[in-house]
Amino acid sequence: MKKTICKILAVLMCFAMVGAAFVGCKKSDDVIKIGLTGPLTGGASIYGIAVKNSAQLAVDEINEAGGLNGIKFELDMRDDEHKPENVENLYTALVEDGMQVSLGTVTTKPGLEFKNLSKEDNIFFLTPSATGDAVPEFSNGYQMCFADSNQGTAAAEFFNDNYEGKKIGIFYKADDEYSTGITKNFKDALDASFSADLKEANFTGEASTFDSQIQTLKDCEVVFMPIYYTPASQFMTQATKVENKIVTYYGCDGFDGIDAIEGFDITTIPQEISMLSHFNSTAKEGPAADFIKKYNDKYDEEKEPLNQFGAAAYDCVYAIYEALKVAVENGEEVDADTSASDMCEILKKVFNSDTFEFRGITGKCEGDEKSHISWSEDGTVVKEAIKYIVKEKNA
Amino acid sequence: MEFLTTFVNGLSLGGIYAMIALGYTMVYGIAKMLNFAHGDIIMVGGYTVHTVLPFLAILLSGVYNPTVAIISSIIAIIAAMVFCMMLGIVVEKVAYKPLRGASPLAVLITAIGVSYLLQSLAQMIFGSAPKHVNIKALDFGILKIGGLAIGYNTIITLVCSILVMIALSLFVKFSKTGRAMVAVSEDKGAAQLMGINVNRIIMITFAIGSALAALASVFFLLKAPTMTPTFGSLPGIKAFTAAVIGGIGSIPGAMIGGILLGVIECFAQAVPAISPYTDAIEFSILIILLLVKPSGLLGKMRREKV
Repeated sequence: MKKTICKILAVLMCFAMVGAAFVGCKKSDDVIKIGLTGPLTGGASIYGIAVKNSAQLAVDEINEAGGLNGIKFELDMRDDEHKPENVENLYTALVEDGMQVSLGTVTTKPGLEFKNLSKEDNIFFLTPSATGDAVPEFSNGYQMCFADSNQGTAAAEFFNDNYEGKKIGIFYKADDEYSTGITKNFKDALDASFSADLKEANFTGEASTFDSQIQTLKDCEVVFMPIYYTPASQFMTQATKVENKIVTYYGCDGFDGIDAIEGFDITTIPQEISMLSHFNSTAKEGPAADFIKKYNDKYDEEKEPLNQFGAAAYDCVYAIYEALKVAVENGEEVDADTSASDMCEILKKVFNSDTFEFRGITGKCEGDEKSHISWSEDGTVVKEAIKYIVKEKNA
Repeated sequence: MEFLTTFVNGLSLGGIYAMIALGYTMVYGIAKMLNFAHGDIIMVGGYTVHTVLPFLAILLSGVYNPTVAIISSIIAIIAAMVFCMMLGIVVEKVAYKPLRGASPLAVLITAIGVSYLLQSLAQMIFGSAPKHVNIKALDFGILKIGGLAIGYNTIITLVCSILVMIALSLFVKFSKTGRAMVAVSEDKGAAQLMGINVNRIIMITFAIGSALAALASVFFLLKAPTMTPTFGSLPGIKAFTAAVIGGIGSIPGAMIGGILLGVIECFAQAVPAISPYTDAIEFSILIILLLVKPSGLLGKMRREKV
């Protein structure tokens, strides 16, 4: 009796395995498949989940509006747990499942793997949030977020426009490539009126006290800090023990998380703490606010909160859609059977053309107008940065 | 004015280095070994304060007022000192005592091993994410004299470190245990023959050194409140440098070395062009000094007995 059951089970399993082998080959008909990887579990999952939800939101909207002349889009996101070693397998699976165009990865380290793999297959990717300078190294890679060192240029432009006549200072980490890269670009792009009177201080290594640096910077009104949040929080706390004229601390994406350091009460810092960003996740009006509302209607605000990663992913999907639309208008043939490599050439042509401009929700939106976004030849994004205020100045 | 502020900041940072350097120098003088785990005792002290403070706050939540807050902070500091003292004794008993007769190299490697063990344990217990330890009750604001504005903490640090050094010098000079320490450092064998319990003296040395390291960690946190499992290593190395500059084995030497290093560090950091090379400057001074005066500023030249 037992043996018979075993045999039947074995036969059933054979069928199941054969079936499973074919599943991978199936591609839902008449869709353009967008693939990406990102952390859906683990410590960085908050970013991956926001990206997944937002990208899905964009895909659903586009499909509801009729897709690309009737061709629908489909999103296929795999969980890389923010581990570069997972990317290769996931990438292969995505390609086998018919990925034609990609959003790359959510985070930088897996992104550096992804760019090498996708180069070989010539698959176009536009990453929402992998900020590493090397991510768009090859011609098939593009970024929706500012590349690390480009944040310096964007920040300088913001200072030129908004802090005229103010005394500014810069505090950076002299032995860190991220920090010195941003600092160099910042100083290059800064108006001469600032440069003449720019106060500079820096530090190296991990543990250090910042007494001397605070002495140098204490008379500045705005201090630009292209460093990570840990030393920044230490500087801010130490500065509360010194008389200073600092009104605003302005950081880059390294500040992301400064309000979540264990034991650091951000309200004990009297100054405004703000950072260069491309999306204001607390916007009350304009296109950003519309998107936030749509997101929160569909997803649970508490469990799957929206952040700038999500907003960028929403823009990525729309940018690819718009670019394909332009390509079709120019007479290119795009349909569900276009190969990934052909798709890449078509998209590259559009993204590199001078006339292509995408209107999105990340970057600076003027009133109800969407922001202007374009890409330079090297795959980095060109758009205006905004200031995201982590904490307002104490009254 | 800025010059003076930087100078005072340097003095107080130097005071912290000196306090740590005392631990190095005493242990070297008496046990003739370099305790590289000393820097990580600082870290343990910091984490002890971090653990005890919230616990006390809950315990005393009914009667909380500024005075109680200050008292509970002081209790936390004492707890850290006691805990580090015990840790120092345990480390000495478990890791170093069995190697008393072994080659100096074996002891040195063991010390490095203990250092990594402590760091890894801290990382397992508290995680690698930075912790912010703000001892708010001991934050007394800013003292203004004319154009000079200095945090009270800086002054407290400076005064405390000077007091500690005076107390330690007196202890070594006049107490029976202190005299015994000097005897052991002069000649271990002879001291033993005179009826001094060498193991006990070494244990006391470790206890005092570790308690000072815990105290130094509190002053360090008052200055720079961010803490990670590795935050003790750099101050540890700097303090070791200070001890060598001052002449390892000499207590006043450790003070002078520490203060010298602290002042140099603060002035170097005040100049942006030089600031990236602060560490390099400090360690270069060590090298130059050792070339000119191999025994350090106050170290005794001793003829090696063959």
